[in-house]
Amino acid sequence: MTMILQAHDLSKEYGDVKAVDHVTLGVREGSLFGLLGPNGSGKTTMIKMLTGQIRPTGGSATVLDLDVIRDPVGVREKVGIIPEQETPPSFLTAIEYLAFVGAIRKIPDLEEKADWWFDFLEFRDKKNVLCKDLSRGTRQKLMFAQAFLHEPALALIDEPLINFDPIMQDVVKEYCVEYAKKGNTIFISTHILEVAEDICSEFAILHKGKLMHTGPVAELTGRGEHLPQFFLSLVLKGNHV
Amino acid sequence: MHSTMFGSISFTLFPIMIFGIAFMGAFLLPLVRSSMPAGNLALIVHASFLLLGFMVGAFGLLGNEVMNRRFGQASLLAYSARSLPLSEAHIFFVFVVKDIVYYFFLWVFPFCFGYILASPFIGVPLAGSLLLLLSLTLAFLYGLCTVFFLSAIYARSRALLYLALLLLSIAWGSAVAFLSINPAYFFPPMLLFSAFSWTNLLLSIVILSALFVLAVFLFSPEQTGSIKELRNTFAPLARRLTFLPDPSLAAKDLIDLYRSGSAIGQTLFSFLIPLAVIWFFLSLLGPFLPPHGLLFLFATITGVIASTMYTWVTMFDSFGPYACLPVPVSRIISGKLMTFTLLQAVPVLFVASVGILSGETLYAIPAVVLCLAVSYYAAGIMVWLTGLSPNVLVYDVKVMAIYLVLLGVALTIFSSLAFANPLYSFASVILFVPAWLFIQKGKVRWDAVEPSGF
Repeated sequence: MTMILQAHDLSKEYGDVKAVDHVTLGVREGSLFGLLGPNGSGKTTMIKMLTGQIRPTGGSATVLDLDVIRDPVGVREKVGIIPEQETPPSFLTAIEYLAFVGAIRKIPDLEEKADWWFDFLEFRDKKNVLCKDLSRGTRQKLMFAQAFLHEPALALIDEPLINFDPIMQDVVKEYCVEYAKKGNTIFISTHILEVAEDICSEFAILHKGKLMHTGPVAELTGRGEHLPQFFLSLVLKGNHV
Repeated sequence: MHSTMFGSISFTLFPIMIFGIAFMGAFLLPLVRSSMPAGNLALIVHASFLLLGFMVGAFGLLGNEVMNRRFGQASLLAYSARSLPLSEAHIFFVFVVKDIVYYFFLWVFPFCFGYILASPFIGVPLAGSLLLLLSLTLAFLYGLCTVFFLSAIYARSRALLYLALLLLSIAWGSAVAFLSINPAYFFPPMLLFSAFSWTNLLLSIVILSALFVLAVFLFSPEQTGSIKELRNTFAPLARRLTFLPDPSLAAKDLIDLYRSGSAIGQTLFSFLIPLAVIWFFLSLLGPFLPPHGLLFLFATITGVIASTMYTWVTMFDSFGPYACLPVPVSRIISGKLMTFTLLQAVPVLFVASVGILSGETLYAIPAVVLCLAVSYYAAGIMVWLTGLSPNVLVYDVKVMAIYLVLLGVALTIFSSLAFANPLYSFASVILFVPAWLFIQKGKVRWDAVEPSGF
């Protein structure tokens, strides 16, 4: 299978702090990849580097064959991104924000697509409400819609379920699984291990900026192990080291 | 907050720079006095500090929303009422006092201290310098409290504010037209400076306190209970702006400005009111300026103030909405400059109106050209130095120093040319060239800098 995302020796330092420390990993096309790690492990920094939002201080990465350092805008054109903090513009309504995204991304049949998302994520009644007045959950729905509006081959999602209620979590999980089955790739970062075990085909564990493990989830479950226990043993061991 | 943003050294140096400018500037006073009475010079300085108060007050009004946009879930003191047992009026009171103390030590005190230290060398008695410190502090506070007072009315009823402004304009205009008195002469801090008396001091403080107390009394916090549904304005507006290279960005910015209330609020509090006041102060300088000089001096100042419209269009944005889109910083800068260009209709109309109303219709066009050239030049410098963060980086001493030097040189050259012959103002179109170059350099520069929010 083709690698859709590759990071080689990727690093990001903020002064003396090594947020991401020489990480090398690859993500296969059509996979649902989970980047796991405790708070502050470097997951968000990793996603920001892979989407060209911040520049690595070392190493290299390609996403959909585009160099994230040389062509960050090109990368963002092709992928869908949901940032950790949902920040749609305050003074646009939900439908206006999707129209704005559609105009920037030059998406045809935008109204039709936006309508589908309003129905699918059940927030049609909020389409004319200003983003600043939306609840966090509804903002997250809106950010979810904007990321998939152009049907990207790769979507990178930072904490995909964090603001959703349990019903919507199920809807979104199901959508991600189906989206990957169509040959697209989803890269999620999360610290909710049960979710990762439930939907991810591959995973990587990041701790204190270092890559602790990467591999298929099936390999782990095939050995009779569960992701949460594996994660905890690895991270606790990492803490002692 | 400012020191966190661009380093404590740059921040610490800012008041030192203000001190240095005042200290060195004081040695030029004997030269200036030969062409202008000291009283008129004092008038300019007081007007400047009044304007500073206006500007600080106008930013304070919008700070709540600005910070929320910039820092996402981070909140200001203004939000504490929601989580702490404090009333909104109490927080507003603390907010105003905090602003006063902060800007006093950032601007007012360093300026006056520079003058005080220079005073023995230029033959100014120490008492006079200390009086200046007092009266400039009061001038700054008048600007600040006037904006807070007007904004408190504005928050309660826009109609009431317009009525108040109309009555004030009529009273002011009547004083000028029928009594031939320029009310700027009666600006309390100026009265105090020109003739110190305990009565004048008391009068100054009483009026100021009344403004402050009324502002706190009238203050009504934003109501968060109502959620309005709005019709889709973005798509039709973007369609109407297709004559622009990037209509979607311009449409978003215009909607931001309109719905945040800053299009009207900023135009009133950061542009029209300060400039109207400045006009009355400057008009006192008429006898000491060349013929038509007043109009062109005013056009130059309006140009500088108009350039700050670039800060209006950048202050409400965070990088968040753009971070997940294929938009480089240079494209956002271009978008902001497009909106800036649309907003320049305000200074154009304003300067043209002033030219016509002051009986200098013939020179209205060169005055407008000078105003626009200065505005674009200053905005170009801002783009180059601060990218999408002019509100924040302006307090970096290096940025401020370069900005002042580049702007000061251009202003000196082109206002002198305009004083020599009003038609020479047309020469200021040359400023569009460096403006364009600064913008291009700025785009390259800020594309290379990691965007961390603006």
